[in-house]
Amino acid sequence: MKFSVNWLREFVELPKSVDDLAELLTLAGTEIESIGKRGANFDNVVVAQIKASAQHPNADRLSVCQVDDGSGQERQIVCGAKNYKIGDKVPLALPGAVLVGDLRIKPSKLRGVESQGMLCSPSELGLSEDSDGLLILSPEAKIGEPIASLFPEDTILDVEITPNRGDLLSHFGLAREISAIVGQPLRLPNRTTAGGAPALQEKGISISAPNACPFYSARRIENIKVGPSPDWWRARLESVGLRSINNIVDITNFVMLELGQPLHAFDADKLTGGINVRLASASEKFLALDGKTYSLGEQDLVIADAARAVGIAGVMGGEDTGVTESTKTLLLESAFFDPASIRRTARRLNLPSDASYRFERRVDPGTVLAASNRAAELMREIAGANPAAEITAAGTLPAAPPDVSLRYEHCDAVIGVPVGKERIEKILRGFGLEKKGQGNGAENSWRIPSHRFDLQRDVDLIEEVVRVFGIANVPGRDRSRFTPESDADRGHDLESSLRARLAGRGLAEVRTSKLISRKATEFEGAIELRNPLNEDHVALRRSFYPSFLDVLARNVLGGARRVAIFEVGRVFIPPDGREERHLGILLWGNSAPSAHWRSDNRTLDYFDLKGVIESIIPSASLKRVERPGLTLAVEIWRNDQRIGFAGQVVSERTRMIDANYPVLFAEVNIESVAQLGSEQNFREIEKFPAVTRDIAMIVPEDLSHGKILATIVGANEPLLASAELFDVFSGKQEQNFGAGKKSMAYALTYRDKTRTLTNEEITVVHAKIRERLQRELGVELRE
Amino acid sequence: MSHELERLRDAALTEVAAAADEQALEAARVRYLGRAGSISAWAERMKSLSKDEKPVVGKLLNEARTAVTAAITTAVEDLRAAKEARELVNIDISLPGTAGEIGTLHPLTQMLDRGISIFRRMGFALAEGPDVETEWHCFDALNTAPDHPARNEQDTFYLPDGRLLRTHTSTVQIRTMEKAPPPIRVIAPGAAYRRDEVDATHSAQFHQIEGLYVDEKVSIGDLKGTLEFFLHELFGADTQVRFRPHYFPFTEPSFEIDVKSKALKGGEKWLEMCGCGMVHPAVFEQVNSARGDDAYDPKKWSGFAFGLGMDRLAMILFGIPDLRYFAANDLRFLKQFAS
Repeated sequence: MKFSVNWLREFVELPKSVDDLAELLTLAGTEIESIGKRGANFDNVVVAQIKASAQHPNADRLSVCQVDDGSGQERQIVCGAKNYKIGDKVPLALPGAVLVGDLRIKPSKLRGVESQGMLCSPSELGLSEDSDGLLILSPEAKIGEPIASLFPEDTILDVEITPNRGDLLSHFGLAREISAIVGQPLRLPNRTTAGGAPALQEKGISISAPNACPFYSARRIENIKVGPSPDWWRARLESVGLRSINNIVDITNFVMLELGQPLHAFDADKLTGGINVRLASASEKFLALDGKTYSLGEQDLVIADAARAVGIAGVMGGEDTGVTESTKTLLLESAFFDPASIRRTARRLNLPSDASYRFERRVDPGTVLAASNRAAELMREIAGANPAAEITAAGTLPAAPPDVSLRYEHCDAVIGVPVGKERIEKILRGFGLEKKGQGNGAENSWRIPSHRFDLQRDVDLIEEVVRVFGIANVPGRDRSRFTPESDADRGHDLESSLRARLAGRGLAEVRTSKLISRKATEFEGAIELRNPLNEDHVALRRSFYPSFLDVLARNVLGGARRVAIFEVGRVFIPPDGREERHLGILLWGNSAPSAHWRSDNRTLDYFDLKGVIESIIPSASLKRVERPGLTLAVEIWRNDQRIGFAGQVVSERTRMIDANYPVLFAEVNIESVAQLGSEQNFREIEKFPAVTRDIAMIVPEDLSHGKILATIVGANEPLLASAELFDVFSGKQEQNFGAGKKSMAYALTYRDKTRTLTNEEITVVHAKIRERLQRELGVELRE
Repeated sequence: MSHELERLRDAALTEVAAAADEQALEAARVRYLGRAGSISAWAERMKSLSKDEKPVVGKLLNEARTAVTAAITTAVEDLRAAKEARELVNIDISLPGTAGEIGTLHPLTQMLDRGISIFRRMGFALAEGPDVETEWHCFDALNTAPDHPARNEQDTFYLPDGRLLRTHTSTVQIRTMEKAPPPIRVIAPGAAYRRDEVDATHSAQFHQIEGLYVDEKVSIGDLKGTLEFFLHELFGADTQVRFRPHYFPFTEPSFEIDVKSKALKGGEKWLEMCGCGMVHPAVFEQVNSARGDDAYDPKKWSGFAFGLGMDRLAMILFGIPDLRYFAANDLRFLKQFAS
């Protein structure tokens, strides 16, 4: 909310510097978001009256005006605006004036016609953004008066008010807060009520929904003259962001900004019969002040007369009972509505207003009638109206907030330093709390003022003490404690080690959104949101797959030649959204990151992907399967448990990506990897030398490495320590072993734990394995 | 006699020194040290020497043999080293080093890890809770009743079954206290969601580190000490830290923390870092009712909680101008954070 510093000053003595005030409020919990200057503090700008206007002889868009600047001599001004009429009073910048944007005014000729100054728009005077036409001043403005006296200089604070502090949504409210913090007395707003406070009486108002509307009051105000507000009033309203409408509406807004109580003025002559505050009927239609028709529901509170609803309570008045230029008699509403009820209606209709904003945050029951009186007095003063001698009211105002008890020792314990009873009591009194009785010295009960409904229990009072005491005066303390490792710690550490290992292998970690787009949901059934905001975030991912394809496409578009990425994170499994932690991997493009003078560059393929998987799950086994979307699909198994899948994406799926290389993708549930635990066990380092012998063979193309290896290992030779495949190549017609065949070569390592092996015994064992390969698989051994 | 042996040694050393290649050295070795070499021949002649001469000549002979052998060995090494050096003399040492792709961790991961490691040094354990939450855990348990002004369903993503995506990681406070009695000292890194149009400073998904400390006689002083230490560790000891009273439904008193540090971009301004406060007794009461016991008796236990926005922290620390970089995962961006 915007606050005028001049306005605040009417109620409390402020620190000299506005920056000090801003700092003070910010550190007491009311943050000042920005500080702006307002007003038209210009020399040589005066009120002038337009006496005559004629078309410029040489320019269609300009006119030549004769104005009275109060000097007794008429002055000729060339002007481009159209929004004035003869007799209007407007700001005139005389030669010598310097306006917004360092615009210097001097006598000049415009298209051959002399101009002795400039008539000003609001924006040229820095009063608002409005640059559409001249600023038309009120008829009461005195010709020749400096404009600075109509629009005095002011500072505007933009203040963030937290939702618990509805009592700060007015100038008086913020001044009251400042007075408590700085310890300065508060000056009450002007309450000169002619003839004393008006009597209350009940007639012509009924409340059928007392829960939603505990209290309603209306005052008849007769003989009003609707017209523009005085200039200083308009300036004040506009400086805090409100548009001036007419004197009556402006007064209700003024009182709301001053005291925090929203008021509404009905044209009494357009009402039929008495007022009834009731809940709307289902689908009741209502034409509001904004010209739109709203369909109401049985939850919505309305103000009605005998014929129809005339206002959505606390939210917006009706179009056909509003104040117009012809209004003669008003009914001035001031009420207390249930905050929750107003909030529901304003949200449902998506109709936030200055009034609903305050009702939702609970207005001060103690101000409801005071505000009505203040507005009536202003109408008497400014619009010459006659307020009725009494206010008609129904219902009862909510009781004052319950007393709150505070133990002084507890207050000190929560804050962490002794503040002391005396200081605590002084601070609480500053906020308008009253001590009840003398207590027992250790604890006291406090009466809470009607505007501080947020003070409900002892911690709320402690917060008030801290705000004024100053948290800067509380020394920080260290309370270390030993904490055992949790499951979440272990999970985090596993994820970290996976990330480190994959980054070490040259993969880049990505973090894609867990919310996926409508387009991405086509790949898979994902849990959709009930209320997505846009097409980009409509469902919860169940896999990294669609997001990874997006990342790939974006990077290919960016010129990448190699995309090797991974992500570790949560996915959501339909139908119930069970959360699993998965690892996703995508490989695409060149094996080398960029062109290099000695790189043996090739295209990343299935075996690169498999290598990455094996680097994190050494005991993984892969089974070939069919899976839609993958040309080459394998399942990843570990300990008889399927933990993921991998494969090469069908190129049709990646066609929109300008990607000529295969796209390789894998996804693994790492919850089960987390159970890997310690597979780390000490094994004695071999003391005796190993001997390696090779076997090369020609085999049919469809004989797998897995089968050959199983045959070698299946020989169960105790001296065989390992068998490594070191060469594979497929035959071509021109080669001696021909098409349909491939050559494979293995290095077999022999070792004994207890002695050095002799050549002879190795030869025997090696020959046995060779024979086994020939016998079992019919391979053709090469020498 | 000894003079002769010395002359022979000097001749051999001269020849070795003059040898141009390994062949010449081998020839010299054979000539002097070979079985029939002239130095070796002296061993034969020893037999004919007198008792007095033997030790003297024997010593000379050994010295000559050792000196010549050493000279040949050194000369061979020098020749080989010179040959190697000749082979490498034309290497262009400015050629690029052998390529190898360096992987990277996402800047948000790095930021989270930095935060987590500081809190772990302070004795916090990790905790977690689901992203998909119940309304009770996200709002009601956190003292935010359905009609509370701070409870904004407009900004919340809902699932068809009525559950929601947590709007803050404070839900983990509740999850943790439901499971375990006090004392509690945990942090919970995780994602939260906001139904917000995406721009340079807003995203639908953001990341927080939540913290919760519950013990006997925990005070604002403890809260202050803990977070001041964290922020000084993160931004440097000369960082100014300011606590500013604020409002959150689930803490009372509540604060926002601002920091000012020369190490940061825009170091002249206070930058908002963290929301925190003393756990509201109503939160303990909600937890007790869910647990069905009085484990979190607000008369006995007090605590503090905090939430750090990690996306914003990463933006500030790394100087990243737009939040959207984090989710775009452009490799040209990610590789800037290879450490």
